[in-house]
Amino acid sequence: MDFENAKAQMRKGVLEFCILSILSRGDAYATDILNKLKESELIVVEGTLYPLLSRQKNAGLLSYRWEESTQGPPRKYYALTDKGREVLKELESSWRELIDAVDSILKK
Amino acid sequence: MKKTFSVNLGSQVYNMDEDAYLIMKAYLDRIEGYFYDQKEQEDIMNDIEMRISELFSERLGISKQVITRRDVDEVIAIMGDPHEIIGEEESPRAAQEKRTGPRRIFRDPEDRMIGGVCSGLGAYMGIDPVIMRILFVLFLIFGIGFLVYIILWIVVPEARTTAQKLEMRGDSVNASNIGNFFKDEFESVKKSFRRKKN
Repeated sequence: MDFENAKAQMRKGVLEFCILSILSRGDAYATDILNKLKESELIVVEGTLYPLLSRQKNAGLLSYRWEESTQGPPRKYYALTDKGREVLKELESSWRELIDAVDSILKK
Repeated sequence: MKKTFSVNLGSQVYNMDEDAYLIMKAYLDRIEGYFYDQKEQEDIMNDIEMRISELFSERLGISKQVITRRDVDEVIAIMGDPHEIIGEEESPRAAQEKRTGPRRIFRDPEDRMIGGVCSGLGAYMGIDPVIMRILFVLFLIFGIGFLVYIILWIVVPEARTTAQKLEMRGDSVNASNIGNFFKDEFESVKKSFRRKKN
């Protein structure tokens, strides 16, 4: 059985949840998001972030705007949309349910 | 002494050593080849190029003005293999969109003498392009070949994207084929580079 795939799927789901959660605390540009994800060792290679951002944007969960930067070219700032906020709320509650459920099985 | 290339990456100009340039180019082309949706491809490539540009600028300073092979290797290690970047993300869709349908006629821009018509037709019919060309020259002697060639040049589209190039050869368009296609191309770039070096 291919456990690597199961692990990758798990990480990807959690990653999408965390991106929304990071953005709920304020708008950020891709490198800010990357740094937070790397701090908590959720992301291994940086490239994985971009397809996820693009997908969430296409699903209407994120929007973006360009902002001038003092250190180089303009940056693309991502922000949560109303739909994004709703999805995040749902994900938060299902995350808690999942943890409780898994915990209750592991502890038995 | 090394020859350098000047590139525009994320709206910034960078000077890159030739080997660094070739590897970076092959890497970006490989990632690009994984996407089907043009809008999505543009978006993601743009973001990735912006980030690479940022990583490059962190590596440059007054005493270092050229991106070297080592910088590129480091940046690629940070960004990750195209396979990891897209990974399973695309495979369910790739499986759905898997096309094993008939070949289509394209002009082949990579193997052309004039407009790529003969090599395109050759790929379509599974005939060596050289034979196609000889047939056309024979045609030409009998008078109508020239006109036919010009008409085909106008009518037959050029195979621009990777997907079209695979279709031209009758390969199905899916993530693994595209991956292989770019792997081959990457290897050939590496080989031709080594040859130049020696």
